[in-house]
Parts: sequence; C-alpha cells; structure tokens
Amino acid sequence: MTSGHPTRPEDFDLYALGVFDGDEKAAFEAHLASCASCQAQLAEANGRMALLALSVPAMPPAPGVKERLMRQVAATSPRTSGPWVPAEVERAEGVFARWWGLLLPVASAFALATLLLWLHNDQLERRIAELHGTVNEQQGKLSQARDLADLMSARDTVVVSLAMQKNQPEGTARVIYNSRRGLLVYNGHLPPAAADKSYQLWLVPASGAPISAGVFNPVTDDTNSIVAKVPPGTAAKAFAVTLEPAGGKPAPTGPMILVGPVS
Amino acid sequence: MTGETGTELRASDATLIARIVERDESALAALYDRYAGMLSSVLNRILRDAQATEEILQDIFYQLWRTAARFDPARGSLPGWLLVIARNRAISRLRRHNPASGEEFLENTVVLPTNLESNIAQQQLIGKVKSALDNLPIEQRAAIELAYFEGLTHSEIAARTGDPLGTVKTRLRSAVETLKRNFQPSSKP
Repeated sequence: MTSGHPTRPEDFDLYALGVFDGDEKAAFEAHLASCASCQAQLAEANGRMALLALSVPAMPPAPGVKERLMRQVAATSPRTSGPWVPAEVERAEGVFARWWGLLLPVASAFALATLLLWLHNDQLERRIAELHGTVNEQQGKLSQARDLADLMSARDTVVVSLAMQKNQPEGTARVIYNSRRGLLVYNGHLPPAAADKSYQLWLVPASGAPISAGVFNPVTDDTNSIVAKVPPGTAAKAFAVTLEPAGGKPAPTGPMILVGPVS
Repeated sequence: MTGETGTELRASDATLIARIVERDESALAALYDRYAGMLSSVLNRILRDAQATEEILQDIFYQLWRTAARFDPARGSLPGWLLVIARNRAISRLRRHNPASGEEFLENTVVLPTNLESNIAQQQLIGKVKSALDNLPIEQRAAIELAYFEGLTHSEIAARTGDPLGTVKTRLRSAVETLKRNFQPSSKP
C-alpha cells in the first residue's frame, strides 16, 4: 500500500479491525484524510467489523446503569419534555389510567351483580328456611319413631282392643298406651264419616272426665293412625271413639262407635 | 431490548435522535433499551469487568445525549457507531491507553449492512454473524478474535501466537474477505 488508494479492497476491513500498525497505518490514514471515496468505503468496513460484536453471548446491562444515566442527564441538562421515569413506573401509570377509563362500567356491572346476588341470597334464605322446616319435621318424625320404639319395648305398655258397638258402622281398632310416658298410638279401621262429622278418640280415665286424644275422618282410606300425648301418669280405664261434629268436641257428645276397656 | 413502550418501539433511530436533540429524556431511555444489551455484551466480552462495563456503557449513552445534534443519521448507522465506540473505549481501557476524546462522531462514520432497529433484525443478524465466524478456519477465527476483542495488531498477534507475521497477515486478509462476502445484505450465512 502506498500513499494513494489502498490497492486491495480488504484493506479497509483490516484497518477497521485495527490490525495495521507502524508505517502501514500511517500511510492509510494519510490518504484517508483527504479521500472521500475511501472514507465511504471505510464507513462500510467499520460496519462489517462492528458486526463481530454480535458474536458474543448476550448479556443484559446491569439494572442500575440506566437509572444512573438518567439521573446524570437530569442533573446536567435543561428539559423541554417530561422527565424520564423508570419503565416500571410508566407501565404502572399507564395501567392506572386505563383502569380509570374502565371504572364506570365496572362499577355499574358491580352494582348490578350486587343486586342480583342480593335477590339470589333472598331466594337462598327462603330455601334455607324451607329446609329448616323439613329438617325440623324429619327430626319430629325421628323423635316420634324413637318414642314409638320406646313405647313398644316398655314393659308397662298395654295394648287395648276396641270393639264395634251395636247399630254403628263396622270397624275395629287397637290402642297401645303407656301411662308413665303419657303416650298412646291408635290404629283402626272405620268407614269415612260424613263431611260434617269427625271421629274423636277418648281416653277414659279411672276417675274424671274423658280426655280427647285426637280427631280424625278417613275420607279416602279407612285406615287411621294417631299418635297422641296425654298427661303422664294418667291411669286409663278404657278407650273409646265417638262420632262428633267436624273438628271434634271438648267432651264426648255423639254416639259411641268403638270401645275397649283396659284390662 | 426491553422496556421500550409501543410508541418508542415504532420510532426510528433518527426520530429518537431528533427528540434527544430537543432534550427529550424518554428518547434517550428508548435508545438505551434498544441497544444497551448489545453494547453491554461486547463490553463485557472485551473487558471481563462488570464495573468497567457499566462505566463505559453509561459514558457512551451520556455522550450520545450531549452530542446528538452532531449525529447525522443519513451518513451512518447509530448502532454501528455505538458498537465502534464501545469497542474502542473497551480496548483503550484494556490496554490502558488514554480513553477516546468522546467526540468520535465525525471520526467514526459507520455504515451497517442492515438495519438493527428492531429486535428481530438484531437476532437475525446475530445468527448470521455467528454462522460466518463458525465457518472460518480455526486459525483465521483465532486471529480475528485476537484483533477484535483484544485490539492486537498484525505484529502483536504474530508475537502472541508465535506465527510468522506474513502468515498472520494472510490469515486475517482471508478472514475479512470471507466475512465481507457473508455480511453482504443479500448473502446467506
């Protein structure tokens, strides 16, 4: 290479790479200073050699460098625009602004959802109340079943057969009674009574007035069962069924249909 | 390249430079996000010193902030200039030379064979460069790396490797010829 144009095109790349030294380097630079064409070729060679930087493994910059740079810039230069803010803050502000834009429809949707939830909650409360009623009913039946089991197994429980009376509807019945527990079960067969009439079961105590143990009127089924409680300790002399006005009476007034003495 | 907003991602280097001239700090931040990773990688490869890498990285972008008005995007590529300056600063630090004056815009016009403004373009070019280097004979590649990453001249490489100076020159000349062919815009790796 002389002080004229480089004789070989790769000289520009070798100079850009920085491998020239001594006279070789001096001669190249002496020509370059006054040759626009060679300056343009060197600019391209600089670009090609710069690409060698891309062959190294990627390494992200240390996180603090950008903040120090921007602090340095802010401390030494007047601004004509807003200050730089870290990307995290910028993103957070952008997200906040977008949320404000969505706030009204979101609030409206929230209010509607609240109303629907309130209505649904009201329905649920009613349903819960119904279920409570069902549970109480089932608990009552369970308690009654336990009482009946106790009644049937108790040694002092008596069974009384009630017999049909002359000139009265045909029928039979049985009463299971435990005076200690004040509990009785009636099970019988009687024809349906007139619409304005009811059958009424009576406990006839050893002393005193008959005690009502329940009112019934089989309309579609002539089988009737009654579980009734009477004052514990009531000694029974007999049980009887009378035909009374619909709904029954405090004391027997109608004809006696079935009677059974306690033996 | 991380942290650029959608608007900054679409802005060209020339646009961002113009905004820096107008003292728009967010434009400098956007260019930092675009190219700091690339510069940090090469600085660390040359220096193998995290603190020195951080100092030079900050200095380069601060210089960009101060002298942006003198940069003419029509004359050269910003990432090309950044890479040349980064390498020069790192080699100077490595060899304990006086650092560059910091006013290298006019002295280091750099034209890249492709546009590096998008992350996709950077990734594509990285693959192309690595492939080109991998395909060089090992002696040529070693000579190129001694020159580029350690800043050694012909005679210094010969002294380091013990190879004749003429052999070193031939290897480097062949290597840059091959790289020039591979780095042409239309060439395939």
